[in-house]
Amino acid sequence: MQGVIGAFAELDSTVHAIEELRKQNFNDLSVFSPTPRHELEEVLAAKNSNVRRFALIGGLLGVSFGYWIPIWMSDYWPLVVGGKPIASWVPYTIIGFELMVLIGSLSTAFGMFALARLPRLTLTVGYDPRFSHGDFGIWVAAGPDRAPQAAELLRTHGALEVRNER
Amino acid sequence: MATMAPPRPDKEHLRGPNVATASNRLPGVKDYAQVDREILRTLQPTLVWFVLLGVSVLLVVLGGATWAYQIYEGTGVAGYRGPVFWGVYIITFVFWIGIGHAGTLISAILYLFRAGFRTTIYRVAEAMTVFAVMTAGIFPILHLGRPWKFFWLIPYPNWRLLWPNPKSPLEWDVFAILTYLTVSATFFYIGLIPDIAVLRDRETNPVRKRIFAALALGWRNSDTEWRHFTRAYLFLAAFATPLVLSVHSVVSFDFAMALTPGWHTTIFPPYFVAGAIFSGIGMVFTIVIPLRKFLKLQHYVTINDLDAAAKLCLFTSTVVGLAYLTEFYVAWLSGNKFEQEFFWNRVFGQWAWAAWIMLICNVVLPLSLWSQKMRRNTTWLFILSIFINIGMWFERFVIIVASLSHEFEPWKWSSYRPTWVDDAILIGSFGWFFMWFLLFMRQFPVIAISEVKEILQPRMRHPHDSSHDLDALTIDPTLTMGDD
Repeated sequence: MQGVIGAFAELDSTVHAIEELRKQNFNDLSVFSPTPRHELEEVLAAKNSNVRRFALIGGLLGVSFGYWIPIWMSDYWPLVVGGKPIASWVPYTIIGFELMVLIGSLSTAFGMFALARLPRLTLTVGYDPRFSHGDFGIWVAAGPDRAPQAAELLRTHGALEVRNER
Repeated sequence: MATMAPPRPDKEHLRGPNVATASNRLPGVKDYAQVDREILRTLQPTLVWFVLLGVSVLLVVLGGATWAYQIYEGTGVAGYRGPVFWGVYIITFVFWIGIGHAGTLISAILYLFRAGFRTTIYRVAEAMTVFAVMTAGIFPILHLGRPWKFFWLIPYPNWRLLWPNPKSPLEWDVFAILTYLTVSATFFYIGLIPDIAVLRDRETNPVRKRIFAALALGWRNSDTEWRHFTRAYLFLAAFATPLVLSVHSVVSFDFAMALTPGWHTTIFPPYFVAGAIFSGIGMVFTIVIPLRKFLKLQHYVTINDLDAAAKLCLFTSTVVGLAYLTEFYVAWLSGNKFEQEFFWNRVFGQWAWAAWIMLICNVVLPLSLWSQKMRRNTTWLFILSIFINIGMWFERFVIIVASLSHEFEPWKWSSYRPTWVDDAILIGSFGWFFMWFLLFMRQFPVIAISEVKEILQPRMRHPHDSSHDLDALTIDPTLTMGDD
């Protein structure tokens, strides 16, 4: 993977650089920031995260499983009490609820890892420890023909350092 | 003719110690570099830390050895005397579960409510939750005559073809507590990942760097990671919010589902949840106030944050106080003489000393928090937090022991006295809790680095005109640091 990485000290410079890169049709960008910033989210106009689907599916599976366990157990070893149902859904709602939360949460965490491609064994090309410290970074995927243009654009917008990476 | 008051100097009235608000301002923290420098500095071990860790480990050894003795001799060495077969272990189980609740309240519920003051205290509170639930989980096992059979509570296919009874509140507890432990630990770890990445990038020791690199899972602060992370964090908070309310409700069902006087009441779930949050906030103060002082973090955990948490403490105290009064009112209104007799015995009879410790610590002393001056006095908050911890332990003592020792038949009425085994295991549980907390605070940041950075203004090449911006007013940092 070839491209250019630029490190910025200021948030507004980073935002302007991203805007300009997108105008110039550099669409394969990765932006690094020490903390989530809504300014970056807006300028990147990324789609909503699909973590919510994992949360929903996990929650539904959890609640179904949570009702099924006690109903199956009651049916397997019936405790017959006159006038009472063998499987009483009201107390089983507690187990259903707890397993909804348990499996829904674990599925949400799994969804985050899967979508963010975590865990990764090596940090990707271009990552710099300064991005967890205080600086912002823009990685632009560009072949040798367009890399100089991207590098120039990053410098124009105040990048502290620009490097070609492969 | 009345004289007019002199005009106030422009904006001067806004510079004083402001009352705690939902937004969080840290005037003593200037930039990202300062955050990294000051928070990572707290990871250096000190002599006091070693001493405290040593004491905690000794207490764990004491508790562990006592448990071994109890397993050898049988649970008779604890203070169980019929009909009081729930004693210090169940009291302490409920106590520690309650302690955990404030952590989830601060980290999840206040996150959903966008309460800014949580930012600097939530990491401590969340760690407290995980370690408190780890401590609480031991107590039902301690209470078993054959603790090595504890896994029988978990439904799993077995050759005996036996399954636990899913209609039993004790079985609901298994699901609730295990879910709570798993979800809190997951929430805690996911929130830690960006901070572990900071540690990985700053660490110079190669072994520790490798450990942090493995724990950070290759996190690199990219926009994709943040996008999924913030969503996942939101959903986890949304799952944890009803969970925290359900867990102590389920714990309260252990009592409310029984016909015992003083237990069989529908107010137990909200009463227990409020009490749990109240006791947890007490423990947050007990930990955070010395921590901010000794780690010199007063400009992070500001007096405004403590003030806001103290208001929450006051609110939950009033809910708990109302629940106490409601119990008496319901006993009177019911016309049930067992219930009336029981409550009279609780407050004016055999257990009056314990009930009054509970009432004074949980209802009377927290009334001081109506005063802003007291809410902003860290010494008083710390002392009060100790009283709250004591009061909430005694609340569970009063609920459990007072009821079991004074049921329906007078010939069964009895007393209860914990033995040294109960005491040693109770003290050991504090050692166990603080041992984990002390180990945690030297390996991981006690204040969430990435969240503190989120509330700071990032560097801008062209800062916008902020002369009309309330947040941009220069506030003297010393005014937000408190008296310690």
